[in-house]
Amino acid sequence: MAVVPGMTELTAPYWQAARENRLVVQECQSCRQLWHPPLPRCPHCHAAGPAWRQVCGDGTIYTYTVVRHPTHYAFADQVPYVLAIVELAEGPRLVTAITGAAPEEVRAGQPVRVVFREVADGVTLPYFALVRYQGDDHGTA
Amino acid sequence: MTAREVAIVGIGQTAYGKALPGTAWDLALEAILGALADAGLEPADVDGICRFAPPFEPVSEPQLVRALGIPELRFFAESPLGGEALGAVLAHAAAAVTAGLASTVVVYRALSQSRGGRFGRADGRGPGGPVGSGKAGGDGPDADVVVPEEDNRSFAWPYGLMSPGQLFALWARRYASVHGLLDEDLTRALGSIAITQRAYARGNPNAMMRDRKMDWDDYRGARMISEPLRLFDLCLENDGACAYVVTGAATARRLRDDPVYVLSATQTLSPYREPMGIYVTGELLELFPPSTAERLFAEAGVGRADIDVAEFYDATSYMPLRSLESYGFVPDGQAWRYVTETGTGPGSPLPVNTHGGHLSEAYLHGMNGVLEAVRQLRGTASNQVPGAEVALVGAPAGSAMILAR
Repeated sequence: MAVVPGMTELTAPYWQAARENRLVVQECQSCRQLWHPPLPRCPHCHAAGPAWRQVCGDGTIYTYTVVRHPTHYAFADQVPYVLAIVELAEGPRLVTAITGAAPEEVRAGQPVRVVFREVADGVTLPYFALVRYQGDDHGTA
Repeated sequence: MTAREVAIVGIGQTAYGKALPGTAWDLALEAILGALADAGLEPADVDGICRFAPPFEPVSEPQLVRALGIPELRFFAESPLGGEALGAVLAHAAAAVTAGLASTVVVYRALSQSRGGRFGRADGRGPGGPVGSGKAGGDGPDADVVVPEEDNRSFAWPYGLMSPGQLFALWARRYASVHGLLDEDLTRALGSIAITQRAYARGNPNAMMRDRKMDWDDYRGARMISEPLRLFDLCLENDGACAYVVTGAATARRLRDDPVYVLSATQTLSPYREPMGIYVTGELLELFPPSTAERLFAEAGVGRADIDVAEFYDATSYMPLRSLESYGFVPDGQAWRYVTETGTGPGSPLPVNTHGGHLSEAYLHGMNGVLEAVRQLRGTASNQVPGAEVALVGAPAGSAMILAR
């Protein structure tokens, strides 16, 4: 059992790309600004018809919290888990969870990279993993 | 709005409790009748209602008009976005009175979390019902939960980011990293607020936690909910209702010797700065534009030093901490030190949440803070700030009011 995103015409391309292990955000075809979550028009120049652009998948942890008390039964056996806002290298921020790390390893400002995990049939979510450098006790990513 | 054109002439409330008898409708009626009686008015005098919009406020205008026998309501307005309605409902009531759209406006908030769902839960027992709170799709206990796309929830809930406490943990952690706080610094700051408010609640007969003392061992020993927020950093979940009545100043002076005048009231919205909107492109900690607070004070014609008491909306202990800064009482990045060294208790330069706040009196979406401000300005509060003349009531996202006697 998983908690999965409902999709609309506006949001489905994001989740379809995630199924293909690609992380995308909207890009204005007129002024080239990027943003997330999706909007019907560019919030900067108001051009219609924004496109989806794949981003590199690198980012940093803007802020995070370790959830130790679940507020939904779907997460009752997943605590503790690490929620984070990640700032992508391209600028936009998104809500995600940090995977593959002990809660005490996580710090604000740490570099992270997207990983994709299928959470239900046909539903893949972008998560982020700590970028571990050579020489780190924990090995390399 | 012109300062002192309108006033709060009556306040009413129910008891606050974990599971009160009666529906939210019952509770709303009790609070509203109490407020009208306090003002010396009859239900038939009411011609305006301002309220928090659904799904937060469960009791509708038609329910009240029927049950109170109001002959004709000629002005009614709803303010969306939860806590962002706190100043807005008063701004709308005051605007209606000054524009001549209504003469006697009731503002209320009723809450039955024991029947209608808890704000701290996200699995179909939240205030949004099936739209806002999970279990929207699928069959059987093992079926996937499909999160409808609404206010970007579908980008957050699948990761388990579902409750205000979790969201404000993200803000609190950001505050610590921006200002270079150690975990212990943040614990001291948040704990100072929680413990100070509990001490106020101990002197307030209305407070749910009036008999529950809390010291640092209690605070630190409570379980971590969503780091860095512990159990006592989060507000109570309860039933109850609050109401107040707004009239023109001349009417108010006829009705009572001690009307509480509205000096200013704000509502504000800017991109992703609605309550719990996290996708701001600038600094996450800035929950409303600084111009909002400047407007609040400029329209009131008072300065920070004139505020004798502040009641800050506190779904979590982080909110009053940051509100001290965002409303301009303490420089950015200094409130964590201020609340531990100067404090907000009795005798401090700015007593905060003198009723115990949402953490220790009850949770009423900020409305119990309005009632406390009125009592402070009448000189009838349980934890009376001596000589209080001007009060600020404010939500973290900039919806606020300045009141004066």
